Amino acid sequence: MNKLWIDERYCKGCLICVDVCPTKALKASPEINAKGYILPTESDMERCKRCGLCELMCPDFAIAIEEGED
Amino acid sequence: MKKHPMLKYLKEEGPLGPRMPLIFCPGCGSGQVLNYTLHAVDRVIQEDGIRRENFLFISGIGCSGRITSHYLNFDSAWTIHGRAPAVATGALLANPAFKIIVFTGDGDAGSIGGNHFIHACRRNIDMTILCLNNGLYGMTGGQHAPTTPIGTITTTTPYRNREAAFDLCKLAEVAGASYVARWTTAHPRQVIRSIVKGIRKRGTAFIEILSQCPVHERMSPVAILKRFRRDTIQIGKARESAERKTTIGEFCDLTKAEWNESYQGIIDQFLINSDTANEQIVD
Repeated sequence: MNKLWIDERYCKGCLICVDVCPTKALKASPEINAKGYILPTESDMERCKRCGLCELMCPDFAIAIEEGED
Repeated sequence: MKKHPMLKYLKEEGPLGPRMPLIFCPGCGSGQVLNYTLHAVDRVIQEDGIRRENFLFISGIGCSGRITSHYLNFDSAWTIHGRAPAVATGALLANPAFKIIVFTGDGDAGSIGGNHFIHACRRNIDMTILCLNNGLYGMTGGQHAPTTPIGTITTTTPYRNREAAFDLCKLAEVAGASYVARWTTAHPRQVIRSIVKGIRKRGTAFIEILSQCPVHERMSPVAILKRFRRDTIQIGKARESAERKTTIGEFCDLTKAEWNESYQGIIDQFLINSDTANEQIVD
């Protein structure tokens, strides 16, 4: 399973990654962080195909997908 | 802990503390264009074997100007308003091996720097101009710009804009650029392909990227990206379609004499003449 990595220092919660994910592996977090942003979080990383669209379209260089072993 | 793959090209730490996160508002298109540009530069560095030191990033003033000012781990210059192509011309004269990428905004290239922009295109100077067009002056408070579409509400056109908008791609094409393309921030792969082509092209490559300003357009970035996908049409289909949509795609891709190369012709001619002149003296 691929692993989601979000840099909470850099993410500003625009949620473009959640919108562009073709398999809906990401969702908006129910919680608001200390800066007042709603960060993305994983909904079902089993579905992640590591297409790289979230990494490609992130304006803040805050998201990365680590390749899983299987 | 894994990081974003393009962070290797950015300065996260400076002498006065951390430089990141980027200064842009949440969901701004400038960060996305920076991301696409670094992907394209990464591809050129890996495939063409061009060294990292040969890249030079130049920008003017505006939100787009902030891209080069603090974050890039490349040679970069943050220059005066609208004059980024002029500074790029000078840099290219000093070192013709430079691969120059110019970031401008629509106000930077279309209004105050209009002359510099069209004359860079006319001379066909070897640079890649990326124009981030959000259709208004974002940094100064959302006033209407020469590229604002008719019927748009901005802070200075509260009863909707009545002035016709500049088509920067047509302007660049008529002025003589070698490569002209228009995409939006919702088309990442196409933007990256165009920037790679632009860097490899000998001559001026002008790539206009329609970008979002979520603050002054008062919409979420996701909604603006959806609008970009809905309201744009590829150039091949645009001729057949009766719908009035923004045309995107590659408008021209020509092979023409580049500025430095054409002047090198004169230099070579004089070198040959002086060689023969020297031989005559020796004889």
